[in-house]
Amino acid sequence: MDYKPLNTDPSRAALVITRVADGQWHALEDDLVVGRGHAARRPDGRHFVSIDAWHADTFDHLAEAMLADLPAPLFTLVDESDLESSANWQRAGFTIRRREWDFVVPTDPSVTGLDDVRPPSGVRILPAGAADEDQLRALDRAIRADVDAGPGWQSMPAEVRPRPAGDTIVDPARYTVAASPERYLGLVRLVTATRRPRIGLIAVRAGEQRRGIARALLSHVLGTLHRSAIPTASAEVDQSNTAALALLEGIGGRRISSSLELGR
Amino acid sequence: MKKQTDGIELEGRVVECLRSAMFTVQLDNGHKVLAHISGKIRKNYIKILPEDRVLVELTPYDLTRGRIVFRYR
Repeated sequence: MDYKPLNTDPSRAALVITRVADGQWHALEDDLVVGRGHAARRPDGRHFVSIDAWHADTFDHLAEAMLADLPAPLFTLVDESDLESSANWQRAGFTIRRREWDFVVPTDPSVTGLDDVRPPSGVRILPAGAADEDQLRALDRAIRADVDAGPGWQSMPAEVRPRPAGDTIVDPARYTVAASPERYLGLVRLVTATRRPRIGLIAVRAGEQRRGIARALLSHVLGTLHRSAIPTASAEVDQSNTAALALLEGIGGRRISSSLELGR
Repeated sequence: MKKQTDGIELEGRVVECLRSAMFTVQLDNGHKVLAHISGKIRKNYIKILPEDRVLVELTPYDLTRGRIVFRYR
């Protein structure tokens, strides 16, 4: 543990930064915790940090201690409209690496325009929980390989944890799948743990894109939510993913906020 | 031993999402406070919606403001 009195302001008690556990720092004034810092390693290997403090100088001292202790590069997330947080991190040397839009997507087919959407000829939609697990894992591995050949999976918004078999499927029941007679072509992962379901992933094999498969998958998934009286779903899309932005905005999705990933 | 914090932690319900990543939270004692999401919650991609039950840490400098440090399921 590191103890270091930092505050020389006579009106305030001395500020001490201490590393209290692996990935956890406290800023102490008069033995009270006045700020906290956390660091965690993501499944993709990147270290993300956060700091909560009421005073900018407390933030700065915590950042200084954490940056000295942790290996570069480091990353953090801030809401783009939270100018104070962005300024704090930029003082610590962090710069914007990417932007991610938060969407609210309606489920009502009369709003999305997906009521008449059918899968292309020879393609059928397998509802959540109906997919063969081995074929689903094969599709996931193929899609990961496609993404790695493009901009790369490392900076994808969703956390992905490669499993021992090399795929990312944790719960097969969350996936709705588009299938041809020969193989699986595309998938949607829907997380329903919170009150507003989250579309965690929409993906179609590289050679099968621009056939309307993603729209057919969304039509099925959103229609199912609508019939369950769930009016909206959420989704996050990287600013550079113009195809996904066009897809969601084309069905009435609204951008409600944006997050910035900062790095140093 | 857990160190004491300078803030006051109270439970409440999110009643409104505002601009600038702020929320109005009605505490169980009836008071409404303005709160932002803690960096730790944001880092973990946890989203806050109206009607969510949350734990708010109030700043000791202004008891009408705080930060959301936990979202209950």
